[in-house]
Amino acid sequence: MSASSTVAERAQAARPAPWLNWLRQDPRRLIAFLVGIVLTVLMVPPLWMLVLDSVTTQDAIGEITGFTFGHFAKLGTEKNALISLWNSLVFAAGSTVLSLLLGGVLAWLVERTNAPLKVLAYLATIISMGTPYILHVIAWLFLLGKVGPLNDAYRMVTGSPDALFNVNSMAGMVLIEGFLWSPLVFLLLGATFRAANADMEEAARMSGATVYDTLRRISLPLAMPAILALALFVFIRAIGGFEVPALVGMPARIYVLTTDVYQATIVVPPDLGYAAAFSIVMVLIVVVLLYFYGRLSKSAEKYHSVTGKGYRPRPFDLGRGRWIAGAVIIVNFMIVLVLPLITLLWMALLPFVQGFSTKALATLSLHNFTTVFTQAGYFELAVNSLAVAAGAATAIMVITAFAGWIAARGGPGGRILDQLATLSLVFPGICLGVAVMEVYLRVPLPIYGSLWIIAIAYVIRYMPYGMRYVYSGVLQLHKELEEAAGVAGAGSMTTLRRVIVPLLTPALVAGWLFIFLIASKELAIAVLLASPTSKVIAVAIFDQWVNGQGGELAAFGLVWTVLMTVIACVFFAQMRRGGSDVYGN
Amino acid sequence: MLTVRALTKIYANRFDAQAGGVRDVSFDLPTGTFFTLLGPSGCGKTTTLRCIAGLERPDQGRIAVGERVLWDSDAGIAVPMNQRGIGMVFQSYAIWPHMTVFENIAFPLRVAKDRRYGRDDISRMVDEALSTVGLSGYGERPATRLSGGQQQRVALARAIVHRPQLLLLDEPLSNLDAALREEMRIELRRLQQQIGVTTIYVTHDQAEALAMSDRIAVMDSGRVVQLDEPRAIYFRPASEFVASFIGAANLLTGVSSGAVAAGEVGAIQTGEGENIGCLFPSGGQAGGKVTVAIRPESIVLSPDGAGAVDGSNLLRGTVSAASFLGGSARYDVQVGSRVVRVVASAEHVVPAGTAVGLVFSPQAAVVLGA
Repeated sequence: MSASSTVAERAQAARPAPWLNWLRQDPRRLIAFLVGIVLTVLMVPPLWMLVLDSVTTQDAIGEITGFTFGHFAKLGTEKNALISLWNSLVFAAGSTVLSLLLGGVLAWLVERTNAPLKVLAYLATIISMGTPYILHVIAWLFLLGKVGPLNDAYRMVTGSPDALFNVNSMAGMVLIEGFLWSPLVFLLLGATFRAANADMEEAARMSGATVYDTLRRISLPLAMPAILALALFVFIRAIGGFEVPALVGMPARIYVLTTDVYQATIVVPPDLGYAAAFSIVMVLIVVVLLYFYGRLSKSAEKYHSVTGKGYRPRPFDLGRGRWIAGAVIIVNFMIVLVLPLITLLWMALLPFVQGFSTKALATLSLHNFTTVFTQAGYFELAVNSLAVAAGAATAIMVITAFAGWIAARGGPGGRILDQLATLSLVFPGICLGVAVMEVYLRVPLPIYGSLWIIAIAYVIRYMPYGMRYVYSGVLQLHKELEEAAGVAGAGSMTTLRRVIVPLLTPALVAGWLFIFLIASKELAIAVLLASPTSKVIAVAIFDQWVNGQGGELAAFGLVWTVLMTVIACVFFAQMRRGGSDVYGN
Repeated sequence: MLTVRALTKIYANRFDAQAGGVRDVSFDLPTGTFFTLLGPSGCGKTTTLRCIAGLERPDQGRIAVGERVLWDSDAGIAVPMNQRGIGMVFQSYAIWPHMTVFENIAFPLRVAKDRRYGRDDISRMVDEALSTVGLSGYGERPATRLSGGQQQRVALARAIVHRPQLLLLDEPLSNLDAALREEMRIELRRLQQQIGVTTIYVTHDQAEALAMSDRIAVMDSGRVVQLDEPRAIYFRPASEFVASFIGAANLLTGVSSGAVAAGEVGAIQTGEGENIGCLFPSGGQAGGKVTVAIRPESIVLSPDGAGAVDGSNLLRGTVSAASFLGGSARYDVQVGSRVVRVVASAEHVVPAGTAVGLVFSPQAAVVLGA
């Protein structure tokens, strides 16, 4: 009797507290809880602040003085707002169509035909991955501008004093934005074409269909959900695009939603309520588009079929059309890479920006490059940019390694973690800039005006991409690998550390590099958060362009592009090794 | 009538040792033949099929259906795949998911260049193809809502709807589960005989090949090593490779005791000193080294060595392992230094350790080619 009671007492004493027991049943709960808190603190306040700002009136120090729908009313009554909305839609639609056309044709030629010179397409894509968008924009502004070679040639041929093409127009904006996005379209559609089951096309050919018939009736319809999803993706990014509207549109007083938000924020005193209301409108547009994007992506998955043995992909034989295809690839290579680079080099070698001419050849010098390499400011700028991008990428991959694993395996709170981590997809860059600025103006942390706030904004902005990489990386790992570790006696943590993370390393590295690359050329978020003492590269280039320091900017931009291209090469090598095709879609 | 002559396709760029290509493959098939290309993966059977289909360009050779030359490297003839009029079923079925079952099957008719099919023609021919494969009434179903077996039937219907002269089947059963595979094996053979189309079937499953084919070509490292009827392939293997690839044969080595004419029975002496009467399909010389293949089920287990009638062979040994397989029993018998496998009726069980005699006729001991 007494013996049994002591056993019971001992059991009583040894029994842990209920919450500890709850944790022991599934140690992932602790991780999910901690990661959930981190994600909530990061992701929720910006959206909350944006909503709050858009429906309240505030005094000079940000105290809320009352609720109002005045900001939204102003959007409806001010004619400019509606024009901006219309401009945004035209701009995004036009550049989406153009980039799909350019990138899509190129992707098909490179991945599914025997066109020559394919390597040029990859080369152009890799280097454009490393080049800040703003550099491309500047190069194209020059090429198509009043004193640029296009209009120069026109004047020379016709003798007319007028310009053929005014780049500071909606047409110019669409053209340049379309060029900007075509490499990404090439990359993503290329992956779609590569992954397509070649049997589907061969079955059509065996049924008697010509190359053209096969393309029209089989290849295109099969790729259509992926193409539409990509179109929506590019459209969303173009709606939130800032570089082109700011540099190409603003000088001609062509405003879109993003530049309107920017204007409302930089006027003195800043009209933050108006900017927030504007941002909310954009966020709503993006939410609707994202909803359709999600549905399209799902229907693209439906088209997956039984796959046979992986025979090497058989390209279409274009016959003599091969050389036309080669010409298309060369033209694209010129547009995306050679012309902008030559332009930047020309600008960098001249003391001040001027058109291509033999007269100017005499003034060529390496002066701008010397400045870039000797002035401490540039070195500091480069270090700042690299540190912020690397820090953000590291933080994201650490957080998403946990969150993505739990979400992909349907662990505790997985769905919530997934939604939290991808919440920032709804923000166009400039809106996130506004929101983060608002949040950290009110938080009693001395990070406003420092690099920290830019890094935090990047972490919020690119969290969904990290999530994406980890999530699909985990899905590629057979669940039995984990279960085998569990059966062998490993706990959740040991399994994560010894099995999941090592196997996931390629995806983690690829995700890190991808985030690092896009973060290091980001302008729209940083332009509102940077201060004179805490600048990143894209902002510095933007400021220099506005101040007319084209030469130094071009020299610095070229040096930066070389550095980033090296990193982009590492990224693509990693993708090839890891064998996964999950870019930012 | 299909003629393939000296077909050669060598991969210049070898990604792995298995992608070897095809060397000097030739065969003639009378109309209506069910012909199987059989071999381990990487033996060149799929490459041969793809060359005939036009999906692959051979380096050399000639391919003709009847009088019509599809490929001739010397004459420079290369008919594009979409004009060859061949039906093909892919291993993955390649059912287009954006079309209904009807549209999938109607596709070859809709894209036909040599003649235009009217709406009624198409509808009639598709229905006919559907009923041939036993899927009547499935026409309006989206292709994504089909089971594996149904997809397979749709792929078959699509391949035969335009009445091709040649039907190519690339391991069509390998994605089905075992029970369904058995069923489709019989079904495919019945269909082929009903339509009477010349068929080339690629598989690595010897049971499939033996059950379905009129003729089988066994391939190894890009070459045809034996081309014959299923029974001959099984009972008269031409080489060690064929003997062991088609079921587990016992291989004994020995020296020919005298000269033997082709197709006659002669005697050999094994390394252990036994004399065995064997069939020499292509003759042999005195003192020549030979390998003999004996099927496990051709050997009768006789506990006391009785039953060895005149002219049959008798080896003596001890059962080292016995396993009961339900329909049959399998024994490993230690004969001298070798282990001989025997498959026998399961009615009487011979326990391990029993001394037994192995009795088999000289016709069952086949001398292999070099």
